[in-house]
Amino acid sequence: MQGFPHLGTGIGLRPPHYADVAAGRARVDWLEVITENFLVEGGNPRRVLRAVRERYPVVLHGVSMSLGSVDPLDDRYLDGLTALAREIQPAWISDHLCWSSFGGHSAHDLWPLPYTEEALRHVAARIARVQERLGRRILIENVSSYLTFRHSTMTEWEFLSALTKEADCGLLLDVNNVFVSARNHGFDPIAFIDGVPRERVGQFHLAGHSDKGTHLLDTHDHPVCDEVWTLYRHAVRRFGAQATLLERDDDIPSLDDLVAEARRAADVVAATEAA
Amino acid sequence: MSVRLADTQARFHALVTAREDVAAIAGRDTAARGAVDAMVVGDERLSAVERLDLYATMYFVRIHDVLRDEYARTIALLGGEAFHALVTDYLQACPPAHPSLREAGARLPGFVAGHALASDRPWLAELARLERARLEVFDGPDATPVSLAALRAIAPERFGALRLSLIPAHRVLANRFTIAPLWRAQAPEDAALPREAPGTLQPREAREVLIVWRGDVDVFHRAADDDEARWFPRLADSGGVAFETLCAALAETRDDAAAAARAFELVARWAGEGLLRADAIAG
Repeated sequence: MQGFPHLGTGIGLRPPHYADVAAGRARVDWLEVITENFLVEGGNPRRVLRAVRERYPVVLHGVSMSLGSVDPLDDRYLDGLTALAREIQPAWISDHLCWSSFGGHSAHDLWPLPYTEEALRHVAARIARVQERLGRRILIENVSSYLTFRHSTMTEWEFLSALTKEADCGLLLDVNNVFVSARNHGFDPIAFIDGVPRERVGQFHLAGHSDKGTHLLDTHDHPVCDEVWTLYRHAVRRFGAQATLLERDDDIPSLDDLVAEARRAADVVAATEAA
Repeated sequence: MSVRLADTQARFHALVTAREDVAAIAGRDTAARGAVDAMVVGDERLSAVERLDLYATMYFVRIHDVLRDEYARTIALLGGEAFHALVTDYLQACPPAHPSLREAGARLPGFVAGHALASDRPWLAELARLERARLEVFDGPDATPVSLAALRAIAPERFGALRLSLIPAHRVLANRFTIAPLWRAQAPEDAALPREAPGTLQPREAREVLIVWRGDVDVFHRAADDDEARWFPRLADSGGVAFETLCAALAETRDDAAAAARAFELVARWAGEGLLRADAIAG
């Protein structure tokens, strides 16, 4: 998608790897950072981010924009994000299709939306406002979810398709989240991937999850499972090579092991293009 | 009939952030049970209530775990069960209002002060406040501290007019109890800190002023002596304090030579610790 170049393969920047990555010892093409971890006045986080940015392309990935909330958009948050983006010059900015605040209360979770016409108009208008404020298009990520609202009138992929068109934003396709939600709700993950518009996808996420028996939980504490790699191959065939990011937030392995797992994505892309 | 997004979010939010889990609420309130079933699809694997409870659990656990890391010494003293109860009460009284998870625990020390757990631990809030202060200065604004060498290079005739002020990444904490020994006594096993003898575990009721600051990427704190306890709050002002003002004030209880010596001693110590702003010195 225009505005979201194929950066190659990246990993999420996490504290155990700060020193090595800041020193340029991560053999990856780019880094994704959690925006909120760097919305601080100074200190080590900002210092690390500046050092990382000198060596790698960086993408700002937020978890608190709360695009689906009926609360007003948080001006203080957007001011901080704007200032951070001005300093860091990220390749792009992304956040989630979810809501995480209500009545001024920030829940620090990614809560699901009902897929209705009202929610679609609401979220699209807010994305448009954010994009205008940031002066750039953003990517919206599909989240893992554990419930479906009875009054939803469309599937998640129908909602995302309409949303990206109406808001003129891109889609960060989290392949693991597709897999987790498909299992939790009983839909076909291929139908999801085939159902979102080819021209809107600007980035992939890969991650591991935990099987809780009754459901899958998006824990980011395991390597990517074989079924998600298979789904990723399908996504690469459909959307072409897109910047791909491996997320790991718990039981974080060594930097070398994490990079080795991330490089599998490059192998998948190469094999797909050769086929 | 269409369901308004605002109503859906209000209902979801109320259930997921309640003190009780959703199953307990639905178990005693048939209307609430009916509302959950009308809102969320359940199936043979997970009922609607169980699905909402997944979100309720994730909401609590995520914040609890951040606070557990942030207040490691407070939890070590309280024990996990009491800390869990404290966080439960805290989230009801002070739900997070900031987009950054790091701010979720900002009001915990103040909340602890009025909590039942503090009734027989009156020092608990001050320990929590120290833990929070250390986190805040870690992310505090950057400033270059003046070095001891730079201070020594200043011509003697310029010294009197020097304005002294503290780097912005600092906190001054005035305590009713001796918290610094307690903090050291509760150091994790892997921390390279001298551990206090067991007898010092109970804080004494005695005035203590702590200075907390960041040097490079490390956070420090120590008890201030009487002169420092008096001057740190004034040095925290952006305008700072002139060195000659410090000397004059110290001379109220000493002769001039002793006051000047004491002032040089203090300033050298603060510069050696990275506590003084370089730009203030330069100005």
